[in-house]
Amino acid sequence: MSKSTKTIAAQLAKTCYHCGEVCAEEIIPYDEKNFCCTGCKLVYEVLLDNDLCAYYDIETNPGGTQRNVSTRSNRFDYLSDQDTILKLLDFQNENESHVTFTIPLIHCASCIWLLENLHQLHDCVISGRVDFLKKSVHIKFNHQLFSLRDLVLLLSRIGYEPSINLADVGNKDVKPTDRKLIYKLAVAGFCFGNMMFFSLPEYFSEAELLGDGFRGLFNYLNVGLALPVFFYSATDYYRSAWMALKNRTVNMDVPIAIGIFALFFFSLYEIFLAGQEGYLDTLGGLVFFLLIGKLYQQKTYDTLSFDRDYKAYFPVAVTRIKQGAEEVIPLTKLQVGDIIRVRHEELVPSDSILLEGDAAIDYSFVTGEEVPVVKKQGELVYAGGRQKGNPITLTVQKSPSQGYLTDLWNNEAFEKKEDKSLESLATRISGKFTVTVLLIALGALVYWSYTDVALGVRAFTSVLIITCPCALAMSTPFTLGNTLRIFGRGKFYLKNTQVIERMARVDTVVFDKTGTLTDPAMASISYQGEILTQQTKGIVKSLVNNSTHPLSNRINSWLESVSPETLESMEEIRGKGLVGYYKGQEIRLGSAEYTSSGTDGVVAGNQVFIAVEGEVLGCFSIQSGLRPGISRVVENMGQGREVHFLSGDHDHERDHLRGVFGSEVIMNFNQSPVQKLEYLKKLRQAGNQSVMVGDGLNDAGALRESQVGIALTTHASNFSPASDAIMDATALPSLPAYLDFAKTSRNIIKASFGLSFTYNAVGVFFAVQGLVSPLFCAILMPLSSISVVVFTTIATNYVAYTSGLKKKIM
Amino acid sequence: MEVIFLLIGISVVMASSFLWLFIRAMKSGQYDDTYTPSIRILFDQKVKTKEKEVPSSKSK
Amino acid sequence: MSETTLERFYYDNKIVKYFGAATVIWGLAGMLIGVLAATQLFLPEANLGNPYTTYGRIRPLHTNAVIFAFVGNAIFAGVYYSMPRLLKAPMWNKTLSWFHFWGWQAIIVSAVITLPLGLTSSKEYAELEWPIDIAIALVWVAFGANMIGTLIKRREKHMYVAIWFYLASFVTVAVLHIFNSLALPVSLFKSYSAYAGVQDALVQWWYGHNAVAFFLTTPFLGLMYYFLPKAANRPVYSYKLSIVHFWSLIFIYIWAGPHHLLYTALPEWAQVLGVAFSVMLIAPSWGGMVNGLLTLRGAWDKVRVDPVLKFMVVAVTAYGMATFEGPLLSLKNVNAIAHYTDWIVAHVHIGALGWNGFLTFSMLYWLWPRMWKTTLYSTKLANTHFWMGTMGILFYALPMYVAALTQSLMWMEFGDGGRLAYPNFLETVIQIVPMYMLRAFGGLIYLLGAIIMVYNMIKTAAKGSFQEEEADEAPALLKHVSTSGEFWHRAWERKPVFFTILATVAILIGGVVEIIPVMLVKSNVPTISSVQPYTPLELQGRDLYISHGCVGCHSQMIRPFRAETERYGEYSKAGEYVYDRPFLWGSKRTGPDLHRVGGKYPDSWHYQHMVDPRSMSPGSLMPPYPWLVVNTMSHSDLPAKIRTMQKFGVPYPEGYDEIAVNDLMIQANAIVANLKETGVEVAPDTEIVALIAYLQRLGTDIKKTAVTNP
Repeated sequence: MSKSTKTIAAQLAKTCYHCGEVCAEEIIPYDEKNFCCTGCKLVYEVLLDNDLCAYYDIETNPGGTQRNVSTRSNRFDYLSDQDTILKLLDFQNENESHVTFTIPLIHCASCIWLLENLHQLHDCVISGRVDFLKKSVHIKFNHQLFSLRDLVLLLSRIGYEPSINLADVGNKDVKPTDRKLIYKLAVAGFCFGNMMFFSLPEYFSEAELLGDGFRGLFNYLNVGLALPVFFYSATDYYRSAWMALKNRTVNMDVPIAIGIFALFFFSLYEIFLAGQEGYLDTLGGLVFFLLIGKLYQQKTYDTLSFDRDYKAYFPVAVTRIKQGAEEVIPLTKLQVGDIIRVRHEELVPSDSILLEGDAAIDYSFVTGEEVPVVKKQGELVYAGGRQKGNPITLTVQKSPSQGYLTDLWNNEAFEKKEDKSLESLATRISGKFTVTVLLIALGALVYWSYTDVALGVRAFTSVLIITCPCALAMSTPFTLGNTLRIFGRGKFYLKNTQVIERMARVDTVVFDKTGTLTDPAMASISYQGEILTQQTKGIVKSLVNNSTHPLSNRINSWLESVSPETLESMEEIRGKGLVGYYKGQEIRLGSAEYTSSGTDGVVAGNQVFIAVEGEVLGCFSIQSGLRPGISRVVENMGQGREVHFLSGDHDHERDHLRGVFGSEVIMNFNQSPVQKLEYLKKLRQAGNQSVMVGDGLNDAGALRESQVGIALTTHASNFSPASDAIMDATALPSLPAYLDFAKTSRNIIKASFGLSFTYNAVGVFFAVQGLVSPLFCAILMPLSSISVVVFTTIATNYVAYTSGLKKKIM
Repeated sequence: MEVIFLLIGISVVMASSFLWLFIRAMKSGQYDDTYTPSIRILFDQKVKTKEKEVPSSKSK
Repeated sequence: MSETTLERFYYDNKIVKYFGAATVIWGLAGMLIGVLAATQLFLPEANLGNPYTTYGRIRPLHTNAVIFAFVGNAIFAGVYYSMPRLLKAPMWNKTLSWFHFWGWQAIIVSAVITLPLGLTSSKEYAELEWPIDIAIALVWVAFGANMIGTLIKRREKHMYVAIWFYLASFVTVAVLHIFNSLALPVSLFKSYSAYAGVQDALVQWWYGHNAVAFFLTTPFLGLMYYFLPKAANRPVYSYKLSIVHFWSLIFIYIWAGPHHLLYTALPEWAQVLGVAFSVMLIAPSWGGMVNGLLTLRGAWDKVRVDPVLKFMVVAVTAYGMATFEGPLLSLKNVNAIAHYTDWIVAHVHIGALGWNGFLTFSMLYWLWPRMWKTTLYSTKLANTHFWMGTMGILFYALPMYVAALTQSLMWMEFGDGGRLAYPNFLETVIQIVPMYMLRAFGGLIYLLGAIIMVYNMIKTAAKGSFQEEEADEAPALLKHVSTSGEFWHRAWERKPVFFTILATVAILIGGVVEIIPVMLVKSNVPTISSVQPYTPLELQGRDLYISHGCVGCHSQMIRPFRAETERYGEYSKAGEYVYDRPFLWGSKRTGPDLHRVGGKYPDSWHYQHMVDPRSMSPGSLMPPYPWLVVNTMSHSDLPAKIRTMQKFGVPYPEGYDEIAVNDLMIQANAIVANLKETGVEVAPDTEIVALIAYLQRLGTDIKKTAVTNP
């Protein structure tokens, strides 16, 4: 193993021994190995000193690149704060602390090995245990001489910087995976198996070969085994049935509960009084299969864990200025009136007023619009913006909990009123179903009782048992669960199954322009003004070449072919623009006021003016370009659904978009987040069932207000908690297909209802005549459930396959 | 065929004790992480040749 | 705060080395005996002309040597190596380890001595007599205690799936062994089973099957889950699957016993159960196989060069085959053909040679270089061994399948006129003798391969330096109760495993105390009035039959098929066995069934046939038993035997033990007189007389109309 690693490392001399990335900027040779950056080299040194280099033998280049790791020494200072520490720790006694960190870098065996050998790195670390799938490590350390901060520093020194955010610092209740269901299932399964075992002679009509002694024994054993099933495994159903009845409704679980009760007590009657064998094995099977359905349902839900805590977006630490001195404090400690400093690339933690510095706030985080907004002193800067440029000082206006983003999330639009969903459809059906079944059962009871009471009771319970709507109950969760999975595979993640059902009813699709229709990467640029000479272009080229500003980048890419001129000097004035000197001439590139072109007669939008010696030549206006294939999506959408656009931008692009998407599309510009929200409210009031496709947080309210809010994202980590679904941008083209699929799954459920009805009909047919034998009961019951499950699974997969949402049928 | 009593008795008792063990195992978090252990067993600990000096903190 | 420090501890490789050595030594012995036995099946003279090395006695020796000595020691070697490393703690108690080692070897040695001497309970895989059974129980419990102690002292919270397999094996085997071995001693080396006839059969096969499950399968799955990933240096394909497959396997296995007795006098419903659950077994078994093979996916390049992995691949495949074949064989109609034939023999050898043998070899090839801190002496030789082993398995199994089908079909074939096509059993045997030769050859290659391995191991050891101990460091599991659900771990580390087992044992003992008396006193097996206890002479003859292991080749269970009733007579009824302790139904018909042999031939025929089988039936494979006519037997232990039988409720009259010897002499003299008429002179106290008496009694009761008193 280790040998092979070495040879590979030798072959790829150009790649970093630590992180395996190509050594682009520089190659740092050390100990006959190459490193892409000092960071990587440092990590290697640390490991070398503690002879932990096996790290590099288990996997090749196991590390993560250290190139863009912040080196600000005091960035973990807030971890010295007692409250923070206590919030982070899982456990603490007089000299020992336990903490669990999430470390995104964990990706291979080497990671596990290293993190579980931390104790070799520092004596005060007692042990580390990695949960690979959760990407987390549980560390026990001796806090006498080794603080939590030291620990985090140690981790970041070896390249495993934990991601700590308020989500951790805040409420620490990580919801435990519901093991109860598994216990119940295990118990049910165990008892079912053994009951089958003791009932097999009956099934195979070997009963007569069984001495009476044994039949008795077997039946009593069955009773013993049935007790845990009845009193433990099945309890969920009683509870939910009881809840339903309390609210004067009838849900699926009511008949199930009745069935179970009837089954149990009638079996007891048969075994103890009538000397029969009872149907306890059936009871076991019934509960067992029902629970499997439940578990499946739960599993599908667990696969999509939504981080619903907005705090996750904020930096935990804030640099506060007190008596002129900087100190780093946790965000929760921040108070109104505090003076804070926000550096380049740092987030504004809460709504604050700009005191000093040139603020160029990038709200791409919030609005998806990555062009920084210039703020003047005394202006309010909203929370969630990211400062681009030199440090700025602000004074906090609102404590983070009531920031601008929070307002959106706390908007009442958050609470979606649950309307009649398929679940309730099932419930409605089962409501009637139950009544019918009960009537039939009673009918049978009465009818037979004239002749033979025992037969009457038998028929009564048999009807209840055989028509026990477990198949009915399963079809919905299984179909929807499976649909969720199929969507999930298509990079389209839904919050829960209700979303599918709402999708099925959608008749209106609302797009938030920015980042959904448009794609920053596809920006198009038009230039108005004096024709630029090749030379001027060259100058501009070299200017933007030296700037990282998004607009510069776009212009740069627009001037691709042009060869840059060499400038005497150039500088970037943050939040204003660029200035360069060419042959003694001053060339400015930037915002209107900066180029002193004045705002008169200027169309708003994303524009960059070019001025030579203070005289404006013209301006580039940047239009964020459209997503490839978006127009087709929209027209597919158009079929039977109306399409709306919302945009926070000015309407200078209206005609352009008209051209692309046709006239029936309704467009609205200059929409503030709140307006967007209002817009969807109106739609709702007008009785439209709307899907809102947006990104970022500024349409969070809108996403909420819509029946189905879809947050479009390029990387699933960043999405709006307000949304009902997250969609990977690449999946957008198949949005129509998804909407149709939602419809189909609804039909599939209805079909499977039909299927299980047939079973029940057949069952009842025999049951009312009191003909059902335990075997028949036991076979039909699981059979119907299984076949329904199989049907829904195959059907959904097949439809998905035909509608191209899935590569393989199974 | 009374021997059946015996066999069933034993089998049921054994099976139930296994069930009990299973539930205990689940409860104890044995199966919370169903991946990492499979990798963990692959590591052969090579203990350092140089004795590590025991820090004062541990002696107390 | 010592508990927070990094603890240093040492793994004991010495015990592993010893168990490993024992494995190969006993392995070779067992295989050698196997080859000898196989040879006798086409060359009866190979019994070396004495009772001690005659097939009937060395077959059980072979099975015991291979199962308990070879596989057993392999398990212990693997467990003693992997368990401490998985739990980051040395085995709990060294003394216990060594007690375990020497105790186990002593048991094997005593088996090697007693079995050839004919001291056997005749229950398959449980032949050893009661004193050794007790020793086994003790040593086994020592093993378990050592494991549980280690578990409690462990420094690794998570119990890797292999550990679970080890523990399940320990618990189950302990219980099985205890219950199957229940017997009342007559003397130090003679005992009668606590169960009679059908019940004995049921218990025996409930044990027999689970012994296979929990001695040959689960521990080796544990070994597979440790050594396969280690050897391939990649994690097991799906750890989740391994856990699921473990739990489902142990839940289902328990039930699958009765399928070994299909079409026997066992009640139909019990057979149905057996079949149903045996079929269910496929799923979890294959879960294991799939998991093993898929672990190597993408590593086939390694497999091509690494003999260890080669052996493992074949082992896992063999496991898959065997576990597929098992349920197949448990289907009634398949079983009807396969039972009593060499198919079963082939089936078990796929398991033994392929699964157990090859996994053991791979384990040893992996362990030796590591423990001697060197590399394998010769990969070339290892590969040679691999190919010889594989060839050996093929040469063994394929002829057996052919033999089985050929013979079974011949047994069942009816000629025109509705009579058996091959009324003479011998015809069907002679037909398959060539197959027996091939089988012996296969076994021989396999043995030679193993010898090559031993050479390789010795050379490997020679070129390296043995590491008696390996140091390791790990932090102790801490003794605090924390908020975040960690309480459970604590509880877990302390008691549960230990208590479970205690509880299990306790409950079982309680159950036994209650149940056994009930069971022993009366049995509601449909009694047949004409069925009577054996006469003293017959009883002695029966014990001779047992001690010579006749049951190894002759069944006493005629299944309700026309083919069998035509050949042997009325099919066997449960009620006929009520006095059979132990039952002698047998599992293999190398010779014909003997349940209705009584009265079929004159005494003189039996006499001649025993002296020289081929004089009566030319071409017979049965070894001659000339010593029976010279050896005299003392009947001093007879009263004790009678009293023991009476304890079981066998209706010998009160105080019969006093007069039993007289009755015996009367019957003996009658037989002697009878023989004299055909000109055969024999002393009444020779073994042959007793044996003839027993054979002539077999299956005659239900023919009788009048009830005769013993």
